[in-house]
Amino acid sequence: MTGLLNVLVGVVMGLNLVALAGGRLPLLIRTVAVQGVLLGLMPLILEHESPDWKLAAVAVATVAGKGLLIPSLLLRALRVARIDREVEPLLGFVPSLLLGALGTLAAVVLTEFLPLRAEHAATLLVPGALASVLTGFILLAGRVKALSQVCGYLVLENGIYLFGLLLLGSTPLLVESGILLDVTVGVFVIGIIVDRIQRTFDSLDTRRLTVLRE
Amino acid sequence: MVAGLALGGLGLLGGALAARHPRGWLAATLTGQGALGLTALAVLGGGGSWADPGAGAWSSPCGHLRLDVLSAFFLLLVAGVGGAATVYAREYWSEREHPVSAVAGRVWWNLFLAAMGLVLLAAHGIVLLVGWELFALSGYFLITLNRTPRAVRSAGWLYLAASHAGTLCLFGFFAALAARTGSWALGPLHDRPELAPLFWLALLGFGLKAGLFPLHVWLPSAHANAPSHVSAMLSGVALKMGIYGLVRFSGWLPTPPAAGWVVAGLGGVSAVLGVAFALGQHDLKRLLAYHSVENIGIILMGLGFGLLAAAHGPAGWGPLALAGGLLHVWNHGLFKALLFLGAGSVLHATGTREMSRLGGLWTRMPWTTALFALGAAAISGLPPLNGFVSEWLVYLGLFDAAAARGPAAALAIPTAILLAITGALALACFVKVCGVVFLGAARTPAAERAHECGPAMRGAMLALAAACVAIGLGAAGLWPVLARVVAAWNPAWPPGETPASLKALTAAHVVVALAAVAAAAGLARKLRRAGVRRAVTWDCGYAAPSPRMQYTAASFAGILTEWFAWILHPHRHEEKPEGVLPRRARWSVHTPETVLEEVIEPVGRGFLWAAAQVRKLQHGRVQAYVLYLLLGVAALAVLALWSWTG
Repeated sequence: MTGLLNVLVGVVMGLNLVALAGGRLPLLIRTVAVQGVLLGLMPLILEHESPDWKLAAVAVATVAGKGLLIPSLLLRALRVARIDREVEPLLGFVPSLLLGALGTLAAVVLTEFLPLRAEHAATLLVPGALASVLTGFILLAGRVKALSQVCGYLVLENGIYLFGLLLLGSTPLLVESGILLDVTVGVFVIGIIVDRIQRTFDSLDTRRLTVLRE
Repeated sequence: MVAGLALGGLGLLGGALAARHPRGWLAATLTGQGALGLTALAVLGGGGSWADPGAGAWSSPCGHLRLDVLSAFFLLLVAGVGGAATVYAREYWSEREHPVSAVAGRVWWNLFLAAMGLVLLAAHGIVLLVGWELFALSGYFLITLNRTPRAVRSAGWLYLAASHAGTLCLFGFFAALAARTGSWALGPLHDRPELAPLFWLALLGFGLKAGLFPLHVWLPSAHANAPSHVSAMLSGVALKMGIYGLVRFSGWLPTPPAAGWVVAGLGGVSAVLGVAFALGQHDLKRLLAYHSVENIGIILMGLGFGLLAAAHGPAGWGPLALAGGLLHVWNHGLFKALLFLGAGSVLHATGTREMSRLGGLWTRMPWTTALFALGAAAISGLPPLNGFVSEWLVYLGLFDAAAARGPAAALAIPTAILLAITGALALACFVKVCGVVFLGAARTPAAERAHECGPAMRGAMLALAAACVAIGLGAAGLWPVLARVVAAWNPAWPPGETPASLKALTAAHVVVALAAVAAAAGLARKLRRAGVRRAVTWDCGYAAPSPRMQYTAASFAGILTEWFAWILHPHRHEEKPEGVLPRRARWSVHTPETVLEEVIEPVGRGFLWAAAQVRKLQHGRVQAYVLYLLLGVAALAVLALWSWTG
């Protein structure tokens, strides 16, 4: 099943690049949603030999949270706040894509040098995690609108989730749900901030936040 | 002992509370200072047992306060000069002339005196730091009593900045000391040689307060712009707190081997450059302020050779040099306070400190002139006054060190030469001051309308002048006190007999003083008998002399400042007379604050520039902040990987 897992992680890495190259917000949000669904499936594949109800709960919660709830909230915000659908990159699409590709390559190379256990070294989980974290950072740093930054934050969190999968056997359910809760709270907080920014500045352009500095 | 200190503290506190009532303030403050002075005297006297430097010392039950011979020596200076300056302040900074700041000035004044007392009494690191900070802050408020002029405010800020730089060093010093000894209590710790490097921190922290060259940058502007009674206190007493710290901790803690060389070297540099800068000044009080740098240099020469002697085994010259330095602490306190009070009464009478706007004051201000001239003679080290006694002791130490042919001899001879140069230049400088300010003809209407100061101001100056004369004529009588303080500093030097040369000097002083009085009386009689004919100065051929045809402060010192142009960097403005019948020509020279303007300010500007560059990182763009985060994480990752592979 390592083969299937690697394919899934490969798709996640590909989606990272799609997220970087996408020029419209709904596309970005849906990319992140698909990524979430894939991540939700991964625990089932990893532990397919000894399935139990806790694992199933984690998978269902992840798919529901990352794949359905959060994206639908974001799409609703897009609609309700009447946000322009353009992504408005601070860093152009081509440079973002190049950086992302380079980062993915670097993640693969770097993993060679990391002191990993044999069963982890066989999978793409670690390079996938590193690449996602990096992509999340590029999205956070390279996009103007607060909603695209929410997406960057989600991608970053997905990378951390991938790391967490390495420890699936030894991590208690509590930690899993803690991570998920973290993501949800983060998204809600950003949602509230987005609302405030929208009301105060009549725009979601985070560049306008510079007036808030002392 | 406790009663005296308590009465002193209560007097100062009561004075501060009664600051709205000048008489009550004066009475309470003077009572407090009298009590402190008497307590200090009792400790210095040691109940008559001269041989034991520990006799008469007092410690509070909690051990946080202690009054020993060395503290008492400085406490007497605080109380004595402080008392005279308090009387002066009553008239000089009165409600009538300074309605806004008179009361505040009295409160800060009492706090200032009390804080200095606390510093001197402290035997606990935290107590000392609290006292030190109070002392520095009250000093700031005293300097800026009259906040209207811009120069006063900037002088205050400079003082505060320098003061806090020094306090920072002291925080480091006491914290490191407490960390290594495990306690904040202060006391002799000679058996801990690993504490020696802390001396450099103390030298920096206390040296900034003492104003030794090149840490003096705050001193000229603060002393020049403060009210004159505050200048007198700052220069005469507050600088000595820095000296106290150096003497105290070089006595209690082990010192590094280079300490004596460095301190003596800094003393020589401070002495000569201080007087060189003084020569270039046109502002009366700024000139006096630079003389403080000079005199601190002389004190440090004494301390430096004391340290050298202590480091190089038994040496008879050590106590002499150190006693000279310590006596100079008193002497400088007395005559510098007298000079600043004199300058204050000139400022009070004419409204200007600019020497080129004064002149001819002696006819209108005979008391101030006479007392200022006495102070000038004392600071120039002329016998039979007190300045000569302390410099003589330092000279004796230096000559003996040179004659002993030890390793210190190589430094003793150049130091003695520097001390001699300093004395000569100081004399030249005060001839300039007295000549330009008090002699000749008035240069401006303000100088013509000058009036003598009132009885309180005159009385304070008289008391200080009397103390100067008394020390000069009774020098030998002070030796036991000095010897006890020296023995408290270094127990290996027990108090000995009064040196024969000091006895001879005292006798010579009495003879010189009597001869001077006799000569003055004879001259006065001759003048009275012959009658005085008044005529215009230079009335020989030129019919229309004007006050502008006198030596100015700049021209009098022109040659001497040229010698030191390599460090003074004077600004000259010149328009030479041209042609057969020149119409217009001018020449002026101005000495800047060279160290401040050419060293400290460029460094400060560079620092501010760098800070502004860093400030650009905080621009409010969230995206870039995320990037910083990423870079930070990446740097940490690299660090972790590097340490893991390495």
